[in-house]
Amino acid sequence: MAVHKRSYRAYEGALTPRWSRFLILTRYAAKGVFQSRIITGLFVISFFYPLLMIAGLYLNHNTQVLSMLKLASDQILVINGTFFLVLMTVQAAFAFLMTAFIGPNMIAPDLANNALPLYFCRPLSRTEYVTGRACVIFFVLSFITWIPGLLIFAIEGTLSGPAWAWDHRNFAFGIFIGSVLWLLLLTLIALAISAWVRWKLIAGALLLAVMFASSGFATAVNEILRVKAGFYLDPANLIAAIWARFFDVPIHTEMSITGAYAGIAVICGFCVLLLSRKIRAFEVVK
Amino acid sequence: MSADSQNIVFDNVSKFYGDVLGVNRVTLTIPPGITSLVGPNGSGKTTLMNLMTGLLQPTRGTIGVLGVSPNHPEQLFRQLGYCTQFDSFPRGFTGYQFVYSFLRLYGCTHAEAEEFTWAAIERVKLVEAAHRKIAGYSKGMRQRIKLAQSTCHGPSVLVLDEPLNGLDPLVRAEVIALLRSLAEEGMHIIISSHVLHEVDMISDQVVLLSNGYVIAEGKIRGVRGELDEQPMQVMIRCGKPASLAAKVFEHDSVVEARMHSDGKGLLVKTRDPDKFYLLLNQLALNGIGLESVVPADDDVNSLYEYLIGGEEPAR
Repeated sequence: MAVHKRSYRAYEGALTPRWSRFLILTRYAAKGVFQSRIITGLFVISFFYPLLMIAGLYLNHNTQVLSMLKLASDQILVINGTFFLVLMTVQAAFAFLMTAFIGPNMIAPDLANNALPLYFCRPLSRTEYVTGRACVIFFVLSFITWIPGLLIFAIEGTLSGPAWAWDHRNFAFGIFIGSVLWLLLLTLIALAISAWVRWKLIAGALLLAVMFASSGFATAVNEILRVKAGFYLDPANLIAAIWARFFDVPIHTEMSITGAYAGIAVICGFCVLLLSRKIRAFEVVK
Repeated sequence: MSADSQNIVFDNVSKFYGDVLGVNRVTLTIPPGITSLVGPNGSGKTTLMNLMTGLLQPTRGTIGVLGVSPNHPEQLFRQLGYCTQFDSFPRGFTGYQFVYSFLRLYGCTHAEAEEFTWAAIERVKLVEAAHRKIAGYSKGMRQRIKLAQSTCHGPSVLVLDEPLNGLDPLVRAEVIALLRSLAEEGMHIIISSHVLHEVDMISDQVVLLSNGYVIAEGKIRGVRGELDEQPMQVMIRCGKPASLAAKVFEHDSVVEARMHSDGKGLLVKTRDPDKFYLLLNQLALNGIGLESVVPADDDVNSLYEYLIGGEEPAR
């Protein structure tokens, strides 16, 4: 037995609050996201449509321009539920594309490098780890979905007056709640795929396949079984139904709004289950 | 201070992966210093380490690390650092970022994290390479940056899974020296290793595992002393081994004596080492010139052979 000098002193100072530590993961991962030129390019492009709409709103309320063009105020843009539904659908499509590029980088590299024990020894719980990773996707996609959506709503509210904003408050709720649900779906599906598929390219392709295949599968179910319930299998349709309800736009899928929320909950639950099976400190080989 | 708050204690711990046995009925007390977990592949070394660090939950039994249960990770990891056997590095990180970012995750502020990062990097002598990407590090440098990462927050217990794997002799010597210096500062260091002669060199005590069971634990010489069924081997270097052999055979305690191939030594097997050493004293006083007397099988290699032998060849 060695004779120990006991000169070693462990650190006993204060630590930052535990609840905030997962954000360190988010910060580092977000930095990594924008190192990719494709993602940065896509991020920039995704602002074009909202900027175009903002310009349209400005022109819509600019009497000088309207009189110069000899147009009535509603002839440039009709600001109604359809306007916001189209806006959010376009932005949701960009969010989906961005997820296909960001998602595969979230968990797969850590699993491939057996780096999970490093995080869990800090100590970070599995929930905190997943939350830290999920926040990256969620925050980045927020900038192209509900943030510009609410900004456009606020601009229109300012230009048309508080009465318009109050009368159409459902649109604001729709923009926020619909976007959050869509981002939650995308984030969880992307993380689940990233946890199970270690190859980035395949993981990205799989995300695209899941979304397109589910749409095709839903249609096939409807056609073969002559039902309408197949639409509940398609995440994009589920969100579309929720948005349609908030924006007061009729939809062809005849989905119940409760069913749409339940469908989203089931998909999210399944993704969480997949994540909990894979995000472990050690892979158990049986 | 109770003994449990100074030691790592396993109390009847079992871990099953479904039907597969990880470790079974492990009852152990690990004191400060360097303790090596030795055993063939699948013997339960890594499982034991993962249980100690709370990364696995025991199926049965309790574990205490300096009085803290692994069920309290916040407290546990204030005093524990774990270095896994894998080259686990988040992609694209430099050595500095690797240590710094995990200190931030641990809960240090920017200033503290920066200070501790440099202290840890300096300790492993990687200051010049700190801002280089880990992907460009040699195996030895990676092992050292992992050590820096696991010790940067000032733990009292350091758990190292195969820290000497894949290192060249020079780097091995450096890592061993580093571990020794940490142990001398008062750290608990738990190592798992296959490299028996190095385990022998650096360990204060060993835990021998086989098929999930602890088959021996304690100081190497103490464990060897308890193996009554295996006669102790003593190598005696002297000028006249033949006449020494004739004299030692007159005594009951000697069961076998074999001439060394160079003709200048005698390997003796004895069932009663104390009695045999007394005999050697007498022989020396009677004029038999003894150059050296060295136990030949009280090392980890021999223990491995005697206790585990045949399951997997030791290196």
